Amino acid sequence: MAELFVAGLSHKTAPIAVREQLAVEEDKLREILLNVHAAGILPEVMILSTCNRVEVYGVADVPGEARALAFRHLAQQRGLDLPSLEPMLYTKSGTDAVHHCFRVAASLDSMILGEPQILGQVKEAFALAQSCQTVGPLLHRLLTQAFAVAKKVRTETELARHAVSVAYAAVELARKIFGSLDGKSILLIGAGKMGELAARHLVDQGAFPIFVANRTWSRAQEMARALAATAIPFEEWVESLATVDIVITSTGASEPIVRTVDVQRCLHARRLRPLFFIDIGVPRDVEPAVNELEPVFCYDIDDLRQVVESNIRERQREAQKAEALVEREVLRFSARAQDVEVVPTIVSLRERLEAIRRGEVEKALAGLPNADPQTRRALEAMSQSIVNKILHTPTVKLRESSRSGHGRGWTEMVQELFGLGRERDEK
Amino acid sequence: MNPIFFDLALLGYLVATGLALAYLVQRGEAIHRLASLATLGGWVLHTLALVVRGVELGRPPLGTLVEAMSVVGWAAVLLTLGAERQYRVKVLSAFVLPLVCVSVVSTAWLPPGLSNLAPALRSAWISVHVILALLGISAFILNFAGAVMYLLQERQLKAKRPGAFYYRLPSLETLDRMTFRALTLGFPFLTLGILLGALWARTAWGSVFVFDPLALFSFLAWLVYAATLSGRTLAGWRGRRAAYFALLGFSALVLTLTAGLLLPGRHGS
Repeated sequence: MAELFVAGLSHKTAPIAVREQLAVEEDKLREILLNVHAAGILPEVMILSTCNRVEVYGVADVPGEARALAFRHLAQQRGLDLPSLEPMLYTKSGTDAVHHCFRVAASLDSMILGEPQILGQVKEAFALAQSCQTVGPLLHRLLTQAFAVAKKVRTETELARHAVSVAYAAVELARKIFGSLDGKSILLIGAGKMGELAARHLVDQGAFPIFVANRTWSRAQEMARALAATAIPFEEWVESLATVDIVITSTGASEPIVRTVDVQRCLHARRLRPLFFIDIGVPRDVEPAVNELEPVFCYDIDDLRQVVESNIRERQREAQKAEALVEREVLRFSARAQDVEVVPTIVSLRERLEAIRRGEVEKALAGLPNADPQTRRALEAMSQSIVNKILHTPTVKLRESSRSGHGRGWTEMVQELFGLGRERDEK
Repeated sequence: MNPIFFDLALLGYLVATGLALAYLVQRGEAIHRLASLATLGGWVLHTLALVVRGVELGRPPLGTLVEAMSVVGWAAVLLTLGAERQYRVKVLSAFVLPLVCVSVVSTAWLPPGLSNLAPALRSAWISVHVILALLGISAFILNFAGAVMYLLQERQLKAKRPGAFYYRLPSLETLDRMTFRALTLGFPFLTLGILLGALWARTAWGSVFVFDPLALFSFLAWLVYAATLSGRTLAGWRGRRAAYFALLGFSALVLTLTAGLLLPGRHGS
């Protein structure tokens, strides 16, 4: 009996050295997919290949056999042999496979909890399998549901909400201070890569205009071009403190260049508009005491790292909520899957009885050429209600049986009793 | 007061408060939906209770301070439900509902007050005076809640150790805007309410400056709010300073109501 399974390895079971050997580009993957499918033991198959996991999703009578087949093909690409991979491979089938698939798509099995790329990668893998026509009804149902669950996790929990990189954490802090970043102006002092990255993220959120100051004028101009910013002479940045909203510093200076007195002096002109310093320089570029001025917030690199750590803990807390949600969805999916198992039998049983009914009504009417419309209607109604009454109990029983896990035995028996199997094969 | 509806409304508010606080701690959309539902349910029952009360009395249920407190809570809930949607501040009710519960519970425990009003207080003008003042006060409850949230969030941002409030509260900018909006909403109502009261005092008692503790404190509160408003519009006040003034103004309002309830004066109890 064919069932859903997933087999593979991930960052949890295999070292990077193995994972990078197995990761293959799309054309190669397409070829492997077709070859595996052609072998005939996997009526449905999809391969997910990312730098953190290589997994085969499929339907097979014997998952172990299917796994060996698929990974032999995958391993051959780089001259690896299957036995060396075996200890790193896991296999899950039935409900466990559903659970695993939902967790992967929802980014609960990722190295960085809640990272957004994995869902896109699963979607690509699914699209590839679809284009190779190796997807059947079971995988289709599984994956479309997995996408829905992933979306639900994203909207109903905050698993993917809080920044886990320093640059994004700075953006998030800016949003906690300013709300929308539309039209907030930035001053970037120094030419550090990280500073530039943070500025870019802020610009993505609508921050504008940007000013760039650097001791080397040509370097300032260069960065200004890269960021669509305005270069200002290094001696003049202090004046612009009166107007900008966010200051990013990443210079190589050995002493703080932003002094509390300078900031204090500009505050009068700013009234109480908030001013946010993102100090990425090591050693620090901004005197820590500016944080004590009323509308000024100053985060150095350690502060930002601390925020990131706290965000990671927050994601872990949210992950518990997401796990519970996924488990509920797995139960719901399995319940529906079992219903699906008996539905075809119910439908063909009804079709069979309906065919008999129609035939008999026609026969009876043929013997009553003078029957008035009323009599015809009465005959139709009576025969239909007999069919419905006969079908009622078996339908209910079949559904019940599927929920208690005995669906297969019951459907076989009903098919046998009413001779339904043959008809289905003909279709 | 008619116990059934008021009790049910209070029950709704208490449940809603519990859920709103749970949302603050735990989050989860389902909890928030339930909290909103309980709030709305409590508010509908509260409306019903006020209407029934008004029909029983044959006049708006605004004659005594105790009745008025209940109406303040009623209006504050309505404003909160609106503001939560407008500013997408889902945790707002966690800060407002406890205050509403206090105001509604206090009306249940305090002596019901006179149901036969002194002749001097039987006038449509009095009702208008009371309604305006109450709407003003309910807006200032939001002003206060917004200020508290602002100060909590600002502390977290200054301390650089993100804790529960950092994640749950909206941005400083949003909180400041909401606080300011509540101030501009409440101030005209309070001003007109006080003005009408003073005019009434002159007609009824012959002088604008009748000694009355409630009137005195409410004027004090008005001064604080007037100062905040001018600071905000003319001197660019915002953020922490504006929030401190919101706390100050609200303390004056609390004193006003306490004085009205506990000290003898023209507003009765």
